[in-house]
Amino acid sequence: MLGRKSRKARKKAKRAKKAKRFVRRTVGTLVAAYAGLFCVFYFDLDGKLLYYVVEPFMKNHFDNMERRDPHDVPYDQIDSEYMSKF
Amino acid sequence: MKKPDLKKLKEVDFKKAARDFVYGKPHGERRLGDLYIPKTGLYKHREWRGIKDTMYYFNNIWLYNYGMIVHDLMVYGGGPKGAIQFLKGTWRYRWMGQTYLTVMHWFDRCLEGMRGETLKASAWHFRGITSACLYQITGFFNRDLNIGGDPALRAKTIGTDETVWGGIIYPYMDQGGYYLPTQMIPYFVTCHCNNHTVLNYIDAVQAYGLPGDPCPMCQAEAGIYIEDDVPDSFVAMVTTNEACDSSVGTSVIQDWMMNKPLFAMPQVMQFDDDSVLENCAKEIELAWRFMEEQTGLEFHWEELKKHIELQNKQNQFEREKWDVAANTHSYPINGVAQALYRIFYSQYGERPFWHDVDRRVKKIMEKCVNEDINTFPMTRHRVIAWSCAPLYYSAWCTWAYNCWGLNTIINMDSLMFDLDIRTDTYENCLLDIAKYHEWAPMRRMAVGGLQHIFELWENMEKFNCDMVMMYDQLQCKGMQGVVGLFEDEFRARNIHAIWMPHALPDKRTVPRSQIRQIINDYMFTVMGEEPLDPSLLDFDDIDSW
Amino acid sequence: MRDLKHLIYFEDLLQEANNDLVRKGKEDGNLCLGYTCYFMPEVLLDLPGCFAVRLRAPKCTSPDMASYYMSGRTCHYGRSLLERALEGGFNFIDAQLATETCTVTCRFQEHLDYMEGVINNATFKTSFTDVPFKKNENSIDHYRKQLKIKVLDFLAKEFGVDTSDEAILKAIRINNEVNDIITEIGNFRKLDNPTITGYEFSVITLVSMVCPKYLIVDKLRETLEELKTREPDDKPNYKIKVLLAGSENDDPDFIKLIEGCGALVVADRHCYGSLEARQHIDIKDGEDPLTAVARHYLLTSQCARFMEQQEMRRRKKVLADYAKEYKADGIIVESNKFCEYWSFERMIDTIVLPRDFGYPVCSIEKEYINTASGQLRTRFQAFVESVELKKIQEVK
Repeated sequence: MLGRKSRKARKKAKRAKKAKRFVRRTVGTLVAAYAGLFCVFYFDLDGKLLYYVVEPFMKNHFDNMERRDPHDVPYDQIDSEYMSKF
Repeated sequence: MKKPDLKKLKEVDFKKAARDFVYGKPHGERRLGDLYIPKTGLYKHREWRGIKDTMYYFNNIWLYNYGMIVHDLMVYGGGPKGAIQFLKGTWRYRWMGQTYLTVMHWFDRCLEGMRGETLKASAWHFRGITSACLYQITGFFNRDLNIGGDPALRAKTIGTDETVWGGIIYPYMDQGGYYLPTQMIPYFVTCHCNNHTVLNYIDAVQAYGLPGDPCPMCQAEAGIYIEDDVPDSFVAMVTTNEACDSSVGTSVIQDWMMNKPLFAMPQVMQFDDDSVLENCAKEIELAWRFMEEQTGLEFHWEELKKHIELQNKQNQFEREKWDVAANTHSYPINGVAQALYRIFYSQYGERPFWHDVDRRVKKIMEKCVNEDINTFPMTRHRVIAWSCAPLYYSAWCTWAYNCWGLNTIINMDSLMFDLDIRTDTYENCLLDIAKYHEWAPMRRMAVGGLQHIFELWENMEKFNCDMVMMYDQLQCKGMQGVVGLFEDEFRARNIHAIWMPHALPDKRTVPRSQIRQIINDYMFTVMGEEPLDPSLLDFDDIDSW
Repeated sequence: MRDLKHLIYFEDLLQEANNDLVRKGKEDGNLCLGYTCYFMPEVLLDLPGCFAVRLRAPKCTSPDMASYYMSGRTCHYGRSLLERALEGGFNFIDAQLATETCTVTCRFQEHLDYMEGVINNATFKTSFTDVPFKKNENSIDHYRKQLKIKVLDFLAKEFGVDTSDEAILKAIRINNEVNDIITEIGNFRKLDNPTITGYEFSVITLVSMVCPKYLIVDKLRETLEELKTREPDDKPNYKIKVLLAGSENDDPDFIKLIEGCGALVVADRHCYGSLEARQHIDIKDGEDPLTAVARHYLLTSQCARFMEQQEMRRRKKVLADYAKEYKADGIIVESNKFCEYWSFERMIDTIVLPRDFGYPVCSIEKEYINTASGQLRTRFQAFVESVELKKIQEVK
């Protein structure tokens, strides 16, 4: 009886411990994430990443993109009968 | 390990340091210029505003807005499919992929040095603008055939020149009618957020033979089309002559590059003249007819009326704001937030996100008035900014307050569109819409009649301003054409006016440092004043966003 | 070719705005009404008891005072006009009939209105007309109403001018007489070997715009008769023929400069040119004369400010059609520095006209008075050479 009880209690205690650990870990992770984000914010790490890495990469991509040649765009005469309604 | 310098430590006033940590350094002791990394405009670290305001900025501005950007993308974009379209668009269009990711730095620049209720109210304005941008960005990409957008959505969408007022789509909104100002997001807002991108468009159009002297805004607008950077998200286009000759020229390039049905809805050039309204009203009706033929949508008067009434509410609140700005020291919105928010919502038209911002700002403003909070306590001069502003340095107002105590109370762009549109009958509504177009930006105050430009004097008085920041857009023919008359008037009226040269989106013509130098020179030599923050007098931000 | 009998007399009349015939017109008791833009219908300023003068500022190379008022970054033409006004050169005009059709000329005219005493003439007044950007019926109707209020009613109220239909009809008759003469003179440019140079024609056209018509019409008629028998040179002294298109140009010396490089200017589609300004004004059956005037001036104009999609595209074809009609080998598209309409239009013309219509284009930016002609001369010479080469290759 005592043994059963203690097993139950042990299990419960284990569960409680697990839960506590989970909560602690979760809170710890959240706090760490929050602190990390605060560091990113305070030291302008988002700006630095965008300025030194992302923007040059994107710029390079857009500079080398193949684009339509405006000389090839047709310039047709318009159906003035339709457009002159407006 | 290096030994601590005890002598120096002894000199530290720990009480003051603790006070600065808790409350932030008071204005007058700050050295905001020391925070910059030279050339880049990046911060060594972001400003410490005291515990409360720093944590507000971190939680309620920085984190909140990053989060809300994702939220808006999912909501406006319609879920995961919208997110995919967004990624495709980011990869396809320079104005998106190279520009808008830096949005939080735009907040930073414009909100530097702000505290308390001013910080809150100004930030809400930027939240509104960001939301409106995302609404349009997702609107573009979900419809864009270039990146596999939805043709059914595109079929109900009309593209416009950005200076066509967004209200033209009101009668069709209940049927899914959608309005996309084709330059507002690809060009106009980019210059404020990250002015690197726009230079590509200016260079592109000049490479095809356009001289360098027309309005650079119009050059850039044409350049977007030359670069094939306008999404194929609309079935037809409505254009206008607003604001100037160059806008007309831009329409020629737009038409060529776009090659879609285009309706010209030019506005009359004369103001406060009833003899021109009828023509304007008829052109608006023709525009509606054109849009209906192109999209298959039907005109719904009740829908138009509903949105106009909501818009009138926005306008009425704007007047409340002006009243507080003019007659109290409790106006909690800084110059750049006031200007950009007003120009954006009055041009783009009534949408739910504006009302949300107005509701929050109203609360803050009421608190400031009721508690008699001096929102800009270091104000030395109340400034009115006139003519068209430098897009690449709209945050000059924030700098000028931090450095010199120049508080920009109101600006020309905010005062346009000041009209409640009648909804009692269709005819009255139409005539008022015509007038609303006449009172559009620039048309009312940069071209189209001297009497409107010289409304400056009465607005100076109305807003209790003692100084004018006179924007000198070097390539605006309308304003360049009256510089001498302004000089004469300033002298005759004994008004302190600082001419601020600039070239709208193109920072290469007059760099920001030069603009600051001009203001510094005037404040030192003419006003004989000393700066509140000497670290802001001269710093290098040539390559910043 | 034999010199034209009245050419020197005409040239003299262009040396200053307040020329002999303007003075004579005023002495005869007429009102002198100034205007700048084609959209201010000249014919309405030629009502009985009035005459129109299209303002020019000849020989104004350094508009210093005007640059204070309008900065150095606006169109030289608008600034030169203001400079001339500030110098007192426009004191002879009794009213300025203004249009807000391009920004800088509008600003110039606003200065006349705003600056007290800039026109030293006690009766001086200005009136601004709103001009539409389209050619549809709504626009014609609006334009007509504007002309009624801002021109006719203004003249009747301020100066007691007779603005009845009969008076307008009379003005149309006088204008049509001049228009027909100039058009007929201009037709000599269509000949394989034209019997009039672009410079001479430019002088004749300008004279008809800046003098009272009743005082110049006889000399114009005489010139027409003279041209009917004028023999061309045996060996043409030009290498190619060109159409000149673009923004404002009232400087015949600019055309002389082009012709000095071997390109005969055979057609002139630019502000102050004849192709639009000298067309016969027709009155449709049942149409009142004011409506006819409104319709005429709106529909004949090929100004770059028209915004309807079909018009934006059509006007390139119109240029090509003119080039064909006048047997031009190429097109020179010019724009005054700081002219925004034509900066954009010139860009697209330069690409579309050669590509879609096969006409070589020389695209240039110029000042109002082209004192620095060296650069332009080089450009024109190079253009003439390239077109000549093209012609030779085509023959081969």
